[in-house]
Amino acid sequence: MLTFTLRRLLLAIPTLLVISLVIFLLVDLAPGSPLSQIPLTVPPDVRQKMIEALGADQPVMFRYVLWLRQFFWVEPMNLFDGWFGTHIVEGEQRILSWQSRSPVFSIIGERIPQTLIVIGTAYLVGILIALPIGIYSAYRQYSLFDQIGTLFAMIGFSVPTFFSGTLFIIIFSVWLGWLPTKYDTTLQVIDWASFLEQIKQMILPVMTLGLANAASISRYMRSSMLDNMGMDYVRTARAKGLSERVVVLKHVLRNSLIPVVTVIALGIPSIFGGAIITENLFGVNGIGAALIGAIQASDIPMVQTLAFIFAVLIVLFNLIADVLYGFLDPRIRYD
Amino acid sequence: MLDANPAPLVQVEDLKMHFPIYTGLFRKHTGDVKAVDGVSFQIMAGQTLGLVGESGCGKSTVGRAMLRLYEPTAGRVVIDGEDVAKLSPEALRKKRPSMQMVFQDPQACLNPRMTLEEIVSEPLDEHTDWSRDKKLERVYELMDQVGLNRRFVNRFPHEFSGGQRQRIGIARALALKPQFIVCDEPIAALDVSIQAQVVNLLEDLQAKLGLTYLFISHDLSMVRHLAQRVAVMYLGRIAELSPSKDLYARPLHPYAEALLSAVNEPDPELAARRNRIILKGDVPSPANPPKGCNFCTRCPKVMDICRSVKPDLVEVEPGRQVACHLYGIQSATGSTGGTEAIERKQQGVNQ
Amino acid sequence: MKLRTALLGAVAVMGLSPAAFADRGTDGEVKLTFPQAVSIMNPYLSGGTKDIYASSMVLEPLAGLTPEGTLVPKLAAEIPTLENGGVSADMTSITWKLQPGLLWSDGSAVTAADAVFTWQYCTHPEGGCSQATKYEGVASVEAVDDATIKVTFDGPKANPYTAFVSALAPIIQKAQFEACIGAAAPTCTDANNMPIGTGPFMVTGFTVNDTVSMAMNPNYRDPAKPAFATAMIKGGGDAESSARAVMETGEFDYAWNTQIPPDSQAAMAAAGKGEFVVAFGTLVERIEMNTTDPSADLPEGERATAKHPHPFLSDIKVRTALSMAIDRSILVEVGYGAGGKPTCNVIPGPEGWASDNTACLTQDLEGAKALLEEAGWTDSDGDGIRDKDGKKLHILYQTTVNPIRQDFQALIKDWWTEIGVEVELKSIDPGVFFGGDAGSPDTFQKFYADVEMYANNSEMPDPESYLSQYMCSKAPTPESQWQGENINRFCDPAYDALITELGTTTDMAKRQEIAIKLNDMVTKDSMIVVPLVHRGTLSAHSNALGGVQINAWDSELWNVADWFRVK
Repeated sequence: MLTFTLRRLLLAIPTLLVISLVIFLLVDLAPGSPLSQIPLTVPPDVRQKMIEALGADQPVMFRYVLWLRQFFWVEPMNLFDGWFGTHIVEGEQRILSWQSRSPVFSIIGERIPQTLIVIGTAYLVGILIALPIGIYSAYRQYSLFDQIGTLFAMIGFSVPTFFSGTLFIIIFSVWLGWLPTKYDTTLQVIDWASFLEQIKQMILPVMTLGLANAASISRYMRSSMLDNMGMDYVRTARAKGLSERVVVLKHVLRNSLIPVVTVIALGIPSIFGGAIITENLFGVNGIGAALIGAIQASDIPMVQTLAFIFAVLIVLFNLIADVLYGFLDPRIRYD
Repeated sequence: MLDANPAPLVQVEDLKMHFPIYTGLFRKHTGDVKAVDGVSFQIMAGQTLGLVGESGCGKSTVGRAMLRLYEPTAGRVVIDGEDVAKLSPEALRKKRPSMQMVFQDPQACLNPRMTLEEIVSEPLDEHTDWSRDKKLERVYELMDQVGLNRRFVNRFPHEFSGGQRQRIGIARALALKPQFIVCDEPIAALDVSIQAQVVNLLEDLQAKLGLTYLFISHDLSMVRHLAQRVAVMYLGRIAELSPSKDLYARPLHPYAEALLSAVNEPDPELAARRNRIILKGDVPSPANPPKGCNFCTRCPKVMDICRSVKPDLVEVEPGRQVACHLYGIQSATGSTGGTEAIERKQQGVNQ
Repeated sequence: MKLRTALLGAVAVMGLSPAAFADRGTDGEVKLTFPQAVSIMNPYLSGGTKDIYASSMVLEPLAGLTPEGTLVPKLAAEIPTLENGGVSADMTSITWKLQPGLLWSDGSAVTAADAVFTWQYCTHPEGGCSQATKYEGVASVEAVDDATIKVTFDGPKANPYTAFVSALAPIIQKAQFEACIGAAAPTCTDANNMPIGTGPFMVTGFTVNDTVSMAMNPNYRDPAKPAFATAMIKGGGDAESSARAVMETGEFDYAWNTQIPPDSQAAMAAAGKGEFVVAFGTLVERIEMNTTDPSADLPEGERATAKHPHPFLSDIKVRTALSMAIDRSILVEVGYGAGGKPTCNVIPGPEGWASDNTACLTQDLEGAKALLEEAGWTDSDGDGIRDKDGKKLHILYQTTVNPIRQDFQALIKDWWTEIGVEVELKSIDPGVFFGGDAGSPDTFQKFYADVEMYANNSEMPDPESYLSQYMCSKAPTPESQWQGENINRFCDPAYDALITELGTTTDMAKRQEIAIKLNDMVTKDSMIVVPLVHRGTLSAHSNALGGVQINAWDSELWNVADWFRVK
């Protein structure tokens, strides 16, 4: 297992390098200019100066190599300096966002908490809703509960979050006035009152995203349960005189969870990626909102860095899913 | 049945297993697959009943329905005095240790995520309050009984060969000291070289432990070797139920006859003389069986009555039951027809 | 109309609640929301309106502009004029006096040196200052003494109120930004995000593109202001959600730029929690006519250049007919509601600068048809499309991807089709259209289309630089890497001469007269520019927020120090 993991990690390095170049070229070739959001009242010569100040007029390969150096040397060493008080890369330019002129990694650092809290909770809530629904739907296939579960999943799949989110806002914020529509990222949880505030402002985005997540995971769970439910070993378990609970929860569920756990693990990078639409709708302003904002503003350093981090996470979680599979399923060995 | 045989351990009466078919937008109940449609037989304690028939005839369903792995649609399954078909879930759970099953696919029937020890001792967890050591001791004992090396106790099913896996399946079935075991094609998925070993093991265990078997198989020669009596099934019903040696010597039902004619004959001389009966056509769908005798669409000796009246399984000779109008006429319409039928049948046998 | 109601309302509220003018910091928190989040608090490194407005709560210029477009002193003691001797008689210099006793929020004194530094900061060749135009023509800025700033121009400057005037050109603290000049400017993240200022608020927390947290400035020059102890600007979402947060849920007090469809405006206003206010500046949605031939048959380098005049748009009759066919009031009704009004002018305001040209406001389809006939464009083959000399009257009409603009395109296509013009529509990603990439065929400067629609405005009430965009020399050409603001390639020596005259005219009435003449030359006289809608910025404020005076000429938050909580 260890050699397998190491081999995969080594293989990931050239893969990621190629990915980084492809992303860089794609982002660079995409039409648009970092100044497209600047009012037309700014004259062309000033625009030219601004472009030069950004370094956006440099040739693309030069900027790519600079970015590589910044990403793999300056930024980690900057972190190192911060931890140990050394001065290895002091004065070297970090990756700066064109839009805000702030270091990309500080922006990511500012945004990761709310993305992880909100999107992560939504993912967790989605899983917690999905698993019981999927299990029971499969156990009572074609029952009324299953039909309702199917309907729920279909709604979750097909209704886009911008619609369900807006609907929730109108119901819970405009009509009932219970919940805020804009997430306050500056809220500090220090006592019960602020904790309740935090919960209140999380409900809408978590509900919106959780519904969508629950829909797909409950379908995975259901079909995986159904696959296993018909297996002979389940009949064996029944024949052993085990109670229904043990048969379903121990034999069927444990085997059915293998592919579902993998799917869940593969979905984790998307938590870091944030949810572009939901984040925007509720003003969560996490990574997803940062990415879309950066794309709209042609903020190449920001888009490039985020896209590359996603690529790393996806490669990493694919590996984790594979290792997890081997861990969960004794039939699979990577030697 | 007034002979001196001991009382039957297993008694199945008019067992039916219908699987409903739902179709259309609203999943309307539009019919049933009559996988088992009125099956009755008995098995004496310590004996083996063979259940043969081609694929899809419902023989495995009979086994599963008997052990309530399916909920039977109708009928009684009395095992050791209790009607299994009517037991409450809790009572059924308590009954399980006395009736067990050995499955066809030794790979699929073992939970891939459990070790041998877990698989074999799980029924003990459920039905005894033994200590861990005692359970392990029992597991070892069972492993010895089925001929598995004790070193393998912590291995996962995929680490064993097919024959070894089937031994695990048997050990698991034996864990709770059952009286009755349904062997559902236990050797069908095994290499021929292994088949005999497993069959011998089953025989040894029967002798040692006094087990009663329902041995389901499509391998007629293996059944002949193992079973005292054999039931031939066709499309959810028993066509003929006879003592093994009688059946193999002289099958009464035309279907049994056709089936036996297909058995490989080791003696080339006999094989050369043998006249294989090739059945034409396909087996009708169990969702829509023929109105009369289920076999009427393919029977080489079909008569008009066969197409309209289902024949009952009746005793036509001592210890031999057949569901065929060739013999039924005797009881239904008098001796003339009966004699004729027997003559015809005898001609058939003596061909 | 709406504006006036809003203003009267605000005045009435102020009159009725004198208790509101309480002490500094007694009204709790004021919450603002912007659909585009604030990226940076240094207006010199950002051209984005959102950043300029947000920083205007912290950084202040010497003088600002009122909603009427007149100058009002901020850090300056008074507005220098010719009369009071602040502006030299030859118009080559202006001398500002700082108010006495001004302090930065960190407690240090504001001096003339800060102004000098601000000028150096923005004019540094490597700084990429986005407000460099504000300091154009400035030869030097000197600190005569600690409180006196002398700005000298490199020639007579008709409008000397550009440097250090309005939220676009505030004074930054020398001590904080000294190390951030030139190429180092973007690396000073802390200074750029949390500048020390003189405004009513100071930044206490900044998360990029998300939230600006502010607290009242203890050293603000008016001891009774601001009424709010803290302020926050939450960014992100869209116009709809921002408007909702003020008008329907009441979570926020003020939302900037809430341009939403007219029917949504009405529905939200009906909730009764707040009101929409509109700032009408000079933003005009217009159709620009291409005077050069954009045909793809021409070789690159000659396509869409003055070398090849447009085959039919060079005929004023065709241009006029196209304008006549448009019903501008329907466009307003469909697209902007209270946020827009029909106009025929490139300079729609302020009062005095706007032409009285209203001829285009009534649609005249028959007149348009007649004019086309007169120009020789007839439908000779009966297919509904006019032609002349075997050429069809076919127009490629491009704009950016934007729901309102696509509605406009559809409506205008219908009208033009009715007068026998075949219209092909094209919509381009705004990032590309306005991106100015010389390699892209779809920039608005390249103008590879017959007509194109977008909005533009004059930065200042005085439209001199705005009008100079239509000078011959400012046409984008392959030689200029397609940079230039005269995207129609309009060229009229008389126009250029008038611009030159405007540059040397100092008399306000005379200036306005010339500006109106220039406006008419590009609109009703030539129909080079076909104005459609005078657009305002629609913002929303809660009924619980008092003192809002919407302003189109400076930051909308120009008087945030005067805002208070209505109790």
